[in-house]
Amino acid sequence: MYFTSIFVIYYTKITTPPKLNHEKIIIDANSSSFFSVKEILHYKSLLRNLARRDFLIRYKQAFAGILWALIKPLINILVFGYISMKITGSANATSSFLNVASAMLLWQLFASVFTDVSNSIIGNANLFSKVFFPKIIIPLSTILVCLVDFCISLTILIVLFIIAGQPVHWQIVLAPLFILLTIINGFGIGLYFATINVKFRDVKFIVPVMIQFGMYLTPVIFSTSYYLERLPTWARWIYCMNPMVGAIDGFKYCLFGGDVIYNMNYFIVSICVSVLFLIIGIKYFYKFERNFVDYI
Amino acid sequence: MGNNTIIKVEGLSKQYLLNKNNAPKSDTLFGNVMSGIRNLKDIASKKEMIDFWALQNVSFEIEQGDRVGIIGRNGAGKSTLLKVLSRITPPTKGRIEITGRVASLLEVGTGFHGDLSGRENIYLNGSILGMSKQEIDKKFDEIVAFSEVENFLDTPVKRYSSGMYVRLAFAVAAHLEPEILIVDEVLAVGDAAFQKKCIGKMKDVSNSGRTILFVSHHMASIQSLCNKAIVLKNGQVDFPLSDTDACLKHYLKDVVTQAKTEISSRTDRKGEGNFRFRNIVLKDKAGYVINAAQTGADLTLEIEFDLAKDNITNLALAITIYSDEGREMFTLANHITDQPFNNVNRKNVIQCHIKQFPLNNGSYLCNIIAYKDSVIEDYVLEAFHLEVEQGDFYGTGKAITTNQACFLVNNQWELK
Repeated sequence: MYFTSIFVIYYTKITTPPKLNHEKIIIDANSSSFFSVKEILHYKSLLRNLARRDFLIRYKQAFAGILWALIKPLINILVFGYISMKITGSANATSSFLNVASAMLLWQLFASVFTDVSNSIIGNANLFSKVFFPKIIIPLSTILVCLVDFCISLTILIVLFIIAGQPVHWQIVLAPLFILLTIINGFGIGLYFATINVKFRDVKFIVPVMIQFGMYLTPVIFSTSYYLERLPTWARWIYCMNPMVGAIDGFKYCLFGGDVIYNMNYFIVSICVSVLFLIIGIKYFYKFERNFVDYI
Repeated sequence: MGNNTIIKVEGLSKQYLLNKNNAPKSDTLFGNVMSGIRNLKDIASKKEMIDFWALQNVSFEIEQGDRVGIIGRNGAGKSTLLKVLSRITPPTKGRIEITGRVASLLEVGTGFHGDLSGRENIYLNGSILGMSKQEIDKKFDEIVAFSEVENFLDTPVKRYSSGMYVRLAFAVAAHLEPEILIVDEVLAVGDAAFQKKCIGKMKDVSNSGRTILFVSHHMASIQSLCNKAIVLKNGQVDFPLSDTDACLKHYLKDVVTQAKTEISSRTDRKGEGNFRFRNIVLKDKAGYVINAAQTGADLTLEIEFDLAKDNITNLALAITIYSDEGREMFTLANHITDQPFNNVNRKNVIQCHIKQFPLNNGSYLCNIIAYKDSVIEDYVLEAFHLEVEQGDFYGTGKAITTNQACFLVNNQWELK
């Protein structure tokens, strides 16, 4: 077909010649960019449209559609809630299920942000190999999609709370902070893996394994105290290097109040690790960002 | 930087590193596992790489309002230059200064998603190309009108015909309004009416006062669109930025020399390579090899080829002949004449017979392509140079000169 075709460019009719806005771009071998909120705001329409696309196609042609955002966490909560109740021998089934439900939802938010961010760059290579835009927009847009899913699955927790007649404490206003912390965790580690993924597609296989094992090292099924009481002191510190410990414990504290946070020091360590991961992830991403196209 | 300089490129170079020993991919599971292990071992000892300079020390300055054509054969570095200019890939050396908003159109329909509706894709594609929501809102009706898909706006684009798909993609791109537009050659596969419409738009561009950088193999469109051009060869500037005509003249001289080299030794080809052209031989009616075709005489093109396997099925071949100004004259294609080659082996000879060769005397160039089930197997641009000598087309001993005709047509006159 190609040889009968013509090569054309065309354009809309412009009545007035364009005014130069003297916005100067300099491209050279060393120039590099770094995370800039101003730049991201400039591309907010792209951010929104990419998120919209991912959301629209995620459940297209699926019979149950958006219900899957409910079914998957619900099954997990039922299975692991039951396991938790049996193993800890807790007599209070409601409390077991509520604990597992709140931790599980947050863990699934982390898992989906981590997975989607780490696959986002190679999944959208067709875009940035043809058009220039700040590549950070791509992983940022996937966060929005995960967040929508999370909000839908939150209804499970609300329903459970109502059924159980669980009272709500004032601390609940702090809950969004720990949701944010979860996203930061997934985003920081995800960016690191997204960068490696550009060159080594092995990441695709490593990430699910990490998520699977990570869940057993995180207070999802059991509480932090359950783990820590069975560990020697030195191992407790290592346990708390897991950034999701802080996020999940903080979230539980907001929902249930009381003494969920086992030890303030461990909690702070966990949060510091989160921030550290975010910084490392962003730095690593921007170090190689400019050359992604050449390696994809 | 001059007063009106809008793009200034200084000493631009781009290097790619390629693996030296490209071990062929294994077909077996065991082979794959072993190559995986070998790769793990190789991480420790750095693999030997060879460097390849896609661009070397390219410098030029473009003034506001210039419409610049970038000319060069496959692999000359044209697309790399566009990618560096549009900030898709960074340069290895050198510096570029650009004043103004840049939009690059290296592909139509970047980011189109088959599952999304036409409307959704307009917004997605527009924002990828750098338009804000307000800009798209404002031009939405224009875009829809231009694309002629009003009735299918809420249908997923995977249900569109290929023509509709391309029209919609073009329509969005056509409504960009940057100061500098960078365009790679774009295939218009729409129907004839739409192509006409595009050409109309194209005419408007010329007077818009915007700066355009344009890559194409189609010399006629470079000639009609661009006031300046630059010739690249092997990543270097072969002929500096100057008037289009001077550039084209230089380039075509080079092309003719190239076309005289044997096809089998050409490396600037595309395709899978299961079928490869080796040579094309001209023969006359009696089967003797000739150097030049003759107007009005019967001509046979004999295609010599190499096969990677013992045979190839469903082979389609096409030869496009065009004048040295880049205007297509005609195309010979066996799938158009319904004479498909269902099974070709190494012993076969492929011939294409033309009765009463119609082109007037002059120099012509040919592109050749072979494909199997619409996958390109071999594709060589400017593959050979066809010289046509004057001949006695009408059998009257009279000829028509080249300024009266490029084609000769049989005709009968009658007085009633």
